Amino acid sequence: MLKFFIGRLVQMVILFVVFLSIVWLLLQLMPGDISDTLIGNPDIPMSVRLELKARLGLDQPLLQQYITYITNFFFRFDMGVSFSRFPKDVSAVLLEALPRTLVLFLSSTLFAFWLGFKTGKLIAWRRGGRSEQFLIVSGVFLQTVFYPWFAIVMLWLFGFVFGWFPIGRFITAELWLGAPFEANDIFGRLIWTVVIASVAYGIARIVIGRVAKDLVTRERLAMLLGLLVVAAVVGYWAVNPAAKFAWDIVHHTILPVITLGLVAFGAIMLLTRASMLETLGEDYILTARAKGLPDNVIRDRHAARNAMLPVATSLVLALSFVIGGGIVTETIFSWPGMGLLFLQAINVSDIPLAVGALAITGVLALVGHLVADVLYAVLDPRIRIA
Amino acid sequence: MTLSQLSLEARQVDPSLPLLEVDQLVMHYKIKAGSVSAVDNVTFTLHQGEAIGLVGESGCGKTSVALSLLRLLPQNAQHISGEIRLNGENLLWLSAEEMRQRRWKDIAMVFQGAMNSWNPVYRVGDQIREALDTHYRGVMTYAEQRAHMEKLFAAVGLPADMLDRYPHEFSGGMRQRAVIAMALSCGPQLIIADEPTTALDVIVQDQILKELKRIQADLGMSIVYISHDIAVIAEVTDSLGVMYAGNLVEYGPTADVFARPRHPYAYLLLRSTPSITGPRRKLAPLQGEPPDLLNPPTGCRFHPRCPFATERCAVENPPLEDIGGGHKVACWHWDQVPELEGLQR
Ligand SMILES: Nc1ncnc2c1ncn2[C@@H]1O[C@H](COP(=O)(O)OP(=O)(O)OP(=O)(O)O)[C@@H](O)[C@H]1O
Ligand SMILES: [Mg+2]
Repeated sequence: MLKFFIGRLVQMVILFVVFLSIVWLLLQLMPGDISDTLIGNPDIPMSVRLELKARLGLDQPLLQQYITYITNFFFRFDMGVSFSRFPKDVSAVLLEALPRTLVLFLSSTLFAFWLGFKTGKLIAWRRGGRSEQFLIVSGVFLQTVFYPWFAIVMLWLFGFVFGWFPIGRFITAELWLGAPFEANDIFGRLIWTVVIASVAYGIARIVIGRVAKDLVTRERLAMLLGLLVVAAVVGYWAVNPAAKFAWDIVHHTILPVITLGLVAFGAIMLLTRASMLETLGEDYILTARAKGLPDNVIRDRHAARNAMLPVATSLVLALSFVIGGGIVTETIFSWPGMGLLFLQAINVSDIPLAVGALAITGVLALVGHLVADVLYAVLDPRIRIA
Repeated sequence: MTLSQLSLEARQVDPSLPLLEVDQLVMHYKIKAGSVSAVDNVTFTLHQGEAIGLVGESGCGKTSVALSLLRLLPQNAQHISGEIRLNGENLLWLSAEEMRQRRWKDIAMVFQGAMNSWNPVYRVGDQIREALDTHYRGVMTYAEQRAHMEKLFAAVGLPADMLDRYPHEFSGGMRQRAVIAMALSCGPQLIIADEPTTALDVIVQDQILKELKRIQADLGMSIVYISHDIAVIAEVTDSLGVMYAGNLVEYGPTADVFARPRHPYAYLLLRSTPSITGPRRKLAPLQGEPPDLLNPPTGCRFHPRCPFATERCAVENPPLEDIGGGHKVACWHWDQVPELEGLQR
């Protein structure tokens, strides 16, 4: 397992260097540079422009610039200075936006997988009927819809017509005026509680797996534990003095997460359904029935557990969608994450910031792939590496 | 059912008492083109501690009979008429939940292609334990379950530590043995073995069948063996039934059926089975194709291929009649079927 891990890690680093080089080169090749944007004004004399270029190092040959960038990136962990937000470091700008993007990506992916898997499983189990027809049509619609249009419709419908959710942005500015908290702090704490709760849940699951030997007890304890963890998180925030502010952030988060998640949901539901139908025809399902197992056990423990394997693989596909869709979502919901940052950076030729945003996205994608691989190995004993 | 029986001790058997009675069973599969008459008027009785075999060529309805017994037929199957009684209780009248509780505890099954009977993502031991958890919830402690499973594995000749392995770590033969161990786990009175050894090589096939036979005798279980290989099945059964196109055409003590088949189909089937021990015989393969069960032939279903057929055979379906000594045949002309020459058992 360790060998596999190290091998993968080396592979990932090489892949990342190649990725970063290509991204860097492509963005350099874009016409114009920051000096054109900042000083498009013809009144500014050429000498000043050249001076600025020289200061930013833009007058050096491309290869020299590349070497400087790469050495700074890998040996000083320095992504340079943002031109448009001078003199802020690119890393500082990105670090502020990263958690928001991560939350958006992770929550919508989890939401899509959880709901997609549940519904896909159920419609495959109870074949026929209106709800199956309806869900299949919706799934195909969601899978094929032009995403920017869909996001705007969602915003219009739930933000404007029903007014259930705030229209865009991350917080309600008026509420936070003179608030004793920083929005980023509260957001960070929200994330931490969820992370801690998840880790605690994970550890407890492992302990349960060791202690409770039989499957039924294991499943019951796991469910109880899940409820307990959710109750603990909600309880902690309910009595917190910052509850009102935390809710404001959560309230702003829900609609973009659901919108981005819904599209992936359609694909995952359809995939789960197909996979589940195939699994239900397997011999071991007939054996499970012959063993006299109750229906829900056959469905969940035997059929769904195996139907999950191809769905887990699709995590990689979902990832690429979520990253692309994430930029659109952030733009439409004015969600101040990395996608929005990237677009703004491109508009003003802030190359370091743009490259930085893409670099982080690349890291996220690589980590996502690794997670999918590990998940698959965990789910399927046949490919588990000794 | 008590724990002691579960822990692999012999059950008291009275060979005169019927355990399973299948009475004029008729079932169809509904498909777009019409209904497939897969089981037609099948009647037989299995006594306590008895082993019977069902043979017949592919597609004659053996698996359909087996699945009917457990009520595990696919959705498009229709039970038309007839009864299936286990210890006098009609299984077809039970509610779905009652039937579920009977499965594995009273009737267990080793499936055709049992190689794929294991769920690939769980340990073999956990899958056996699951059956115990379902039918003997709270009866055994975890350690008792483990001890019981180790005994089962020992009985089928597998090392106990294989319980902690995943199915893909087993060879085909081992998987099959483990399936038998799982079938024994809840102490069933009856095991249905649908081609339990088809995918295995001849030596392993022989070992497993002998072991199954020994266990069956030791525990006082009853077994229904299903196979298309009449020679394999003859060694381990007390009675033998020959099926043709959904009909049971001959039934009787294995030795009788084997030595003096009276139904033309059974006769031709046995003649076409090469004999290793006896003198060389000319093989006379069956002529023609098995019938389409969507439109089975009128009268006796075998008449289009039968060398003894007369006009009556095309019109009237012969009943399964006792011709002496519990040997039953469904044929109008059974007395014209010649003796098998050169066949020695
Ligand atoms: N689900 C189904 N729908 C329609 N027809 C079916 C179905 N299952 C089986 N049949 C038909 O019923 C008949 C009996 O099938 P069955 O599987 O019982 O045969 P078998 O004797 O077990 O054959 P084999 O030796 O190949 O296993 C065949 O003609 C088959 O085509
Ligand atoms: Mg069959």
